[in-house]
Parts: sequence; structure tokens; C-alpha cells
Amino acid sequence: MNSQPVNTKPNVMGSLCVSLLFVLVGAVTLFDTLSYSDVDSKVFPRAAAILLILASVVSIVLTLLKPVADEGFGSGAWWRRALLISAMLIACLLMPKLGFVTSSAVAFLGALLAAMHDQWTARTAFVYIVSGFIVVGGFYALFQFGLNVPLP
Amino acid sequence: MDFGSFLSALTPLNLLFALFGVAAGTIIGSIPGLTATMAVAVLVPITFSMQPASALILLGAIYTGAIYGGAYAAILLNTPGTPSAIATTFDGYPMAKRGDGDLAVALACFASVFGGLVGAFALLFLAPPLSKVALAFGPVEYFWLSIFGLSLIASLSNGNLAKGLAGGAFGLILSTVGVAEVSADIRLTFGSQTMIGGFGVVGALIGLYCIPVLIDLVAVPDRHLKVEQGVQSVKIKPAFLIALNSKFNLLRSSVIGTLVGILPGAGGSVAGLVAYSEAKRTAKPHQKFGEGEPDGLIATESANNATVGGGFIPTLVLGIPGTPPDAVILGALLVQGVRTGPALFQSGGGSIAYTFIYGLIIATVLMLPVGLIIGRYAYKSIVSIPKAVLVPTVAFMTIIGTFAIRNSVSDVVIMILLGVFGWVVGRFGFAASPIVLGLILGPIAEQGFVQTWIIGSAIGDLPGMFFGRPISQAIVAFTVLSILYPIFAARKHKRAESNSEQVS
Repeated sequence: MNSQPVNTKPNVMGSLCVSLLFVLVGAVTLFDTLSYSDVDSKVFPRAAAILLILASVVSIVLTLLKPVADEGFGSGAWWRRALLISAMLIACLLMPKLGFVTSSAVAFLGALLAAMHDQWTARTAFVYIVSGFIVVGGFYALFQFGLNVPLP
Repeated sequence: MDFGSFLSALTPLNLLFALFGVAAGTIIGSIPGLTATMAVAVLVPITFSMQPASALILLGAIYTGAIYGGAYAAILLNTPGTPSAIATTFDGYPMAKRGDGDLAVALACFASVFGGLVGAFALLFLAPPLSKVALAFGPVEYFWLSIFGLSLIASLSNGNLAKGLAGGAFGLILSTVGVAEVSADIRLTFGSQTMIGGFGVVGALIGLYCIPVLIDLVAVPDRHLKVEQGVQSVKIKPAFLIALNSKFNLLRSSVIGTLVGILPGAGGSVAGLVAYSEAKRTAKPHQKFGEGEPDGLIATESANNATVGGGFIPTLVLGIPGTPPDAVILGALLVQGVRTGPALFQSGGGSIAYTFIYGLIIATVLMLPVGLIIGRYAYKSIVSIPKAVLVPTVAFMTIIGTFAIRNSVSDVVIMILLGVFGWVVGRFGFAASPIVLGLILGPIAEQGFVQTWIIGSAIGDLPGMFFGRPISQAIVAFTVLSILYPIFAARKHKRAESNSEQVS
């Protein structure tokens, strides 16, 4: 029998951190409004910043008084999440140098590796990579030639 | 009524244009990042060599199809295909997640067709008198309308109003980044040239709604959508019965969509949000909006498609475009040599105007079979594609869709980072919807507020300007009602529950 005491204190650190971040955003916005020359430019961002700070402070107080456990980041593989986002960002950085098709292929491949939970076989590798070429090539053709969007 | 115009709209060529327009618009609208405005703008050049009435029918069909097409991505991927479909994600995606995606797609089609028809019939019968509504709306009414839209935060906060308000305020701040609309001050760019253009709404929408879904999808091996038994077809009969049962909601939302469409600059996203807010406010206790409630989907889809006909009212009668696609169509009309104005509905120009309206009605009716067929294949494709292919395809679509808006790589980077931010804060109870609401309604609210402030200061009557006009008073009353009603309803429900517990 497990006799370890169960920790019933809900974890609210994430909520508190996000609320504090929003307070900081509000403060930075208020500071930025000091540099505006026209009073009409200040009114709205100031009102929004004050609302953001007040709502965030209320959220902090409520979190401390009536803590409700955060959902948190949940289960799941972090490397897959990181691979997906970094593949997309790297593709953006490569786009001006390598062009749209090559950089998109990088994003597609990265996202494919991140999302592939089944066993790789020669067949799946072939089918998925070919489908990647079709998707990237098809959309490139649609945007570049059909919709006249100038792609790098 | 002009029977000759009706027959002109029914020529095989015009029917073909209507069919092609609806299908092309639906497909373009379903791709995240490609808006209805873009669909219309891209296809405008092919109308220059056509007869004016045929050109108008094609453009109207593309527009109405694109607004409906936005629902597919909203329901199946939690990504609004067009900004008009923002509120469709609130209940559409939860329906798809629990295995009712086929029902949601069919329901969206019925609601869109109904809303589109209400808007088109308003255009047919009430265009000249209703166009006066557009003129009755000044800056203060726009300000209060956007505040009314923001009051929806109260119901989108998942039980935590403070977090919802913080998200909404954060969205409002994001909307102020870049050049101030009224006074041209550079705000919150911190010296970055990239940020001067501000946050693009469509890119932000894609980031905040789509990236979190992708991040969650890749992390676990579960299926992306729950599917019961095998996919045969979209559920037409159950969807029709649900729509029929929700006829009052359908009609009210369509009327809201038509009226909001008449207001220049408001558009389908505001219409969908206002209709959703009203549907939620008047919901029965057992209805759980935000958790896959069909009435929420019906409200938003009927309202956003009703803006098509509504938006054409000021466009054709006053020459003031009601929505951004209307502005593109107005330009195409001028190229065709058609002069807008009340005379368009009388002798001479009347035949073109009425042929177009009948064409719009025919296109909307055609949207039913076209939408159900495309919806069926869209749904089957999304549920049957392996996740390992779906995720990179959607990730790629978010990149190309965001890039296409302003041909900017920076916009894509911002979209991704905003998406990651949305995912992180979402994990701690700060939902994306209030942020999006603030981002969309912020510019409308600010412009209305500042203009009202300037006029009020000039005439020395600020309270009178903000609260003295009858339309403003009505909108303020609705706003207060929509904020307070859920609180009273929840208390009443709680009291009834405790009473029943005491009795038992």
C-alpha cells in the first residue's frame, strides 16, 4: 500500500507567471505612450493597458485566494513540439535565401518527423515524402501561377 | 420586381458562372489565410471582358462561397478559413473533436444558405430603405458596437472573467501596434521597422487558433478527430432537423448579419460574434455554448453569410462598400461602367441590379448542393489523412497563407511566435478567443472612440455624444444586458438547483 501523502496543493505557478507577464506588458505599454506626440494616440492604448494591469492583478489575487490547478503543459513529447516549431521558424529564415519551395520542404519534413508516431516503413516513407512534394508543389503552383502571389 | 431580370439571371451561362463562382469561392475560402476579399480580388480580372450582369453574378457567387468555405477549416482544424468564421471555431471544432464533424459541416451549410438567402432577399426588397441604416451609424455607434462585441469576452472566458478580460485587453494592445489610425503616431514598435505595419488580423488568427492545435497534435499519438464507425457522408437529415428546430435562432442571426453587413467596415467577423453573443444570451440552461453547441454554429454561419446581401445594400444604393469584398466588387462595377446609386434600382440600371440580385439568390441556393458535396469530401479527407501528413500540410498552409497576405516572411515568423504564445497562455487558462476579439475590434473601437471624443470635445458635450444618441443607447443597453444576463441566469440556475436539493 502506498503511504506517501498526496500533495493536494494545486499548482498555480503558470497562471501567476502569465498574469505577471501581462502586468509587465501593460506597464511597458504605459511607458511607451509617454513618447506619443498626439493625445489621441495615447487614450486608447492607455485605457487598454490599465484594463490589462487591473485584470491581471485581479487574476493574481483570485489565483492566490481560490487556487484552481492549472492544466499545465500536459503529457506529450516535448521534442516533437520543439521540432515542429523550429522547423517552421527555420523555413522562414531560409526562405529569402533558398526560395519558397526548398524552405517549405524543410518545414514539411520537420513537421512530418514531429507528427509521425507510427513505425517508419519504406512504403510510408515513400508515400509521405511524395505527398509532401505534391502538397508543396501544388500550393506553390496555385499561389504563384493561379493567384499571382509573388513567392521568393 | 422585374421578371425579365430573373430570366436573365437564369441563362445557362449565368448559372454556370454562379456554380463556378460558388465552388471556387468555397475552395479558396476553406484555405486558411485566403480571405473572401482575396478570393474576389484575385478573380476580378477575369470578369472585365464579361457582360456586367454576368460579372456581378460571378463575383457575388465567389464572395458568398468564400464566406461559407471559411467554415470548413474552422470546424475541422480550429482555424478560421476567413476572419468571418472566427466564432464558428467556438462550437464547430468541439463538435468535430467529439465526432460530430460531419454534422457540423452540414449544419454550417444549411445555416449559410439560409443566412445568405435572408441577406439577398433584404437586398431585393429593402435595399433603398435599409441603406439609411448605414448613414445613421456614426463613430459613436461603431464604438459601442465594438464594445458590444467585446462584451462577448464575458462568455468566452471559460468561467474566469479576469483572465478573459486580461486576454481581451492584451488583444486591444496588440491592435494598437504600428501607425495610429487617427494621428499617425508610431506605437509599440520599439524601433522595429517590421512592426510598423502592425499585427495582421488574418496572420494573428491563423497563429492563435491553428498553431496551438498543431503543437497539441504532434505531441501525442491520438487521432486528430474522433470518428464513429467509418465515414459515409455528411449528416444531411439530422442537420436539417436541428436547423429547423433552431429556426428562430437562424432568423435572428440572419437579420443580425444583414444589419451588420449594411454597416460599412463591420463585416462578417463582427456579425458572427454579435449573433453568437445573442444566441448565447438567449440560450436554454442545458445548452453549453463553447463545448460543441449546434446553435452557436448556426448563429455564426447564418450571420456571416447574411452579411453578403447586407453588405451589397450600401454598396449598390449609396456607393459605400459594406464589407471589404464589396469594395473590390464596387471597383469592378466602376470598370464595367455601372454607376451605383438609387437609380440603379430604377429604370435603366435596374435590370443589371436585379439580374445580379437574382443571380446572388441562385448562387446561394446552389451553395447547398455544392457546399454539401465539397463538405463531404473535405470532412472525409481530414479524418482519413494520417496525422503525419495532415500536420505538415496544415503547417505548410499556415506558412503560405500568412505569407500571401502581405508577401512578408516577418508576418509568418510573427504568426508562429504568436501561436506559441497563444498555446502557452492557453495552457494556463488564458483563452485565445478574447485576445482575437480584442485584436479585431480594437481598431473599430479606437477609431470610433477617438472620433467621438474629438467631436464631443469640439461641441462641449462629451456625455451627450457618447450616451445621447438613440442607437447608441440601444447598443449600450444590449451590452449591459449581455454582460449581466449570464450572471443572473447562473445565479437563478444555482438557486433552483439548491431548492430542488432541499426538496429532495
